[in-house]
Amino acid sequence: MPKDLLIKLEGVKKSYFLANGEEIPVLKGIDLEVKKGEFVALMGESGGGKSTLLNIIGCLHPLSAGKYFLEGRDIGVLRDDSALAFIRNKKMGFVFQSFNLLSRLSALKNVSLPAVYAGITKKEREAKAEKLLAGVNLGDRILHKPTELSGGQQQRVAIARALMNDPEIILADEPTGALDSQSGEEIMKIFCDFKKRNKTVIMVTHTPSAAKYADRIIFLRDGKVISHDYKLNSTK
Amino acid sequence: MKFEILYMAFEALISNKLRTFLSMLGVIIGVSTVIVVVGIGSGAQKKVDDQYKNLNVTTILAMGNRGKDSSSSSKISEEDVAYVLENASFVATGAAIVEGSLSVAYGSTSSSLPAIGTDPGYLDIANLELSAGRSFTEDELTGKAKVAIIGYSSLETFWGDETTDPESVLGEYLTVANKKVEIIGVLEENGTSSSMLNYDGSIFVPFTTAEKTLLGSNARLMLNFLAKDAESVSVAMVEIEALLRKNHKLKDGKENDFRLMDAGSMVESASATATTMAILLTSVATIVLIVSGIGIMNVMFVTVSERTKEIGIIKAVGGEQKDILSQFLLEAVILSGIGGIIGVVIGETIIPFLNSLEDWYVVASVTGVAIAFSFSALVGIFFGFYPALQASRLDPVDALRGE
Ligand SMILES: Nc1ncnc2c1ncn2[C@@H]1O[C@H](COP(=O)(O)OP(=O)(O)OP(=O)(O)O)[C@@H](O)[C@H]1O
Ligand SMILES: [Mg+2]
Repeated sequence: MPKDLLIKLEGVKKSYFLANGEEIPVLKGIDLEVKKGEFVALMGESGGGKSTLLNIIGCLHPLSAGKYFLEGRDIGVLRDDSALAFIRNKKMGFVFQSFNLLSRLSALKNVSLPAVYAGITKKEREAKAEKLLAGVNLGDRILHKPTELSGGQQQRVAIARALMNDPEIILADEPTGALDSQSGEEIMKIFCDFKKRNKTVIMVTHTPSAAKYADRIIFLRDGKVISHDYKLNSTK
Repeated sequence: MKFEILYMAFEALISNKLRTFLSMLGVIIGVSTVIVVVGIGSGAQKKVDDQYKNLNVTTILAMGNRGKDSSSSSKISEEDVAYVLENASFVATGAAIVEGSLSVAYGSTSSSLPAIGTDPGYLDIANLELSAGRSFTEDELTGKAKVAIIGYSSLETFWGDETTDPESVLGEYLTVANKKVEIIGVLEENGTSSSMLNYDGSIFVPFTTAEKTLLGSNARLMLNFLAKDAESVSVAMVEIEALLRKNHKLKDGKENDFRLMDAGSMVESASATATTMAILLTSVATIVLIVSGIGIMNVMFVTVSERTKEIGIIKAVGGEQKDILSQFLLEAVILSGIGGIIGVVIGETIIPFLNSLEDWYVVASVTGVAIAFSFSALVGIFFGFYPALQASRLDPVDALRGE
């Protein structure tokens, strides 16, 4: 396995089961490779399984069949809660379409949250959270609650949170879906900066204006990958 | 790390003020009600115990029938005592007393007290001890002397303080039914305060003085016997009944013109009443517990999807199940602990307040606090922790959806 290969999926399948026991196959055998430092967009029809795939990569739910290697280690077989929590905590940073901030906590506390579970002292993590918030142009909003921020600002808080534990990968599910185009562009710039530090971004998106920032586009259709390297003109 | 989680728990409680308040309210109401209700129950039991604690269980009382026709025809008399003592073999001793109510005054204070006219032997029968002075003499008895022995609580009634030195009131004069009566003795606290025999609050005068001079037609005669021992109470009752019928020359088929009562069955029936009350109160407490439990449950269930989402977020940023469970458990423990303490404080504040009302007798008991506290712990932990346990077992994606 090449050294810079970060993620490798082999024949990954995922089915959901309804309450009546009925099986809904969603991913029907996904083969996929993502290198360190790549910015990849996941696109495809609605209901095609993009979120499902991203959540498997992020260890937010288990796969039904196939293999998942992260940095060469087979983690598709992992079911142990603290091992998975460790990966989510140290390796991944999530950005969701609906932000998923804790409404009762300030921006600063939301951003520090991953560091609480990494066992970092309050002083240290809040100093870092402050820096990260300044980095996403929210230095003057650190004590605001999510309800006191605009959608774009909330998403930037969420990104700062994703960056808190210096992850290898940012996993973003339609991060600009709820934002206007200008806020969307700011988010993309942050992702590009992250990529420049030889880190990886995997982003589900519907909008070409976001996808054009990606190095390549993986196209999903009906639970299968139909293309690994679509490319959009990023100069327009 | 542990401290961090405690901090998170506190933060969650403080930032969800309404939810915290409402669920705490459930615990507070549950705990304080249980404490008060258990207090009322043990109060009732203690009251019964106190009332009869100095009552000799071998005591048997005989008195005339009360009622429209019987009072006039009642033949109960002092001579019955001598007749019974002469002929009965299971009766140890006996005395006649007259009972009534008298207005008693000292200085500017006056009060209506139960009065008991008796002979010196009665003090022994009734288990009464003098704390100062002496009992009546035979001469005083035959001479209808105007002397009195006062009960323990008269010290407070007339001298304003029950710690007044009993020696100091000897020789003082009370105005009883407009006649001057000299105090020759003071009784020790007896504790017996049943409606029938309120010794502490009574004034005792010689039998003859009470009957002829003070009470007059208000006098009610009562015969007081002691059975040989506790086992012979029921045979002694049979004997006394038969002997009184004989002495009153009642023909077969005629009803008794007197009533007999024994102390044991008085205590028993009062205890039974207290037990009934305890059962009733326990049901009330159970209902309150269920209702406040449902209240807490509602508050928790209303917020369960919000909390499930919170758990999803914590999982997504790398919180372990055990961190999440510790946080929610701590939250539940803090919530029910503080709620429980407030509940105990309120309960213990209500009890003296209730006691200050007339006819209320509530005893703060450790049992009450223990039951109330275990309840609050159970409810708080179950409703605070159980939903969190469920949510923490979900895949993070499912938790994020908030069910
Ligand atoms: N918990 C679930 N139970 C049953 N079926 C589910 C569940 N979650 C998703 N699905 C189904 O799986 C399929 C893929 O869902 P997924 O969310 O991955 O699609 P998507 O590509 O992200 O779509 P969109 O672009 O609309 O977000 C859908 O048909 C959906 O109905
Ligand atoms: Mg999706």
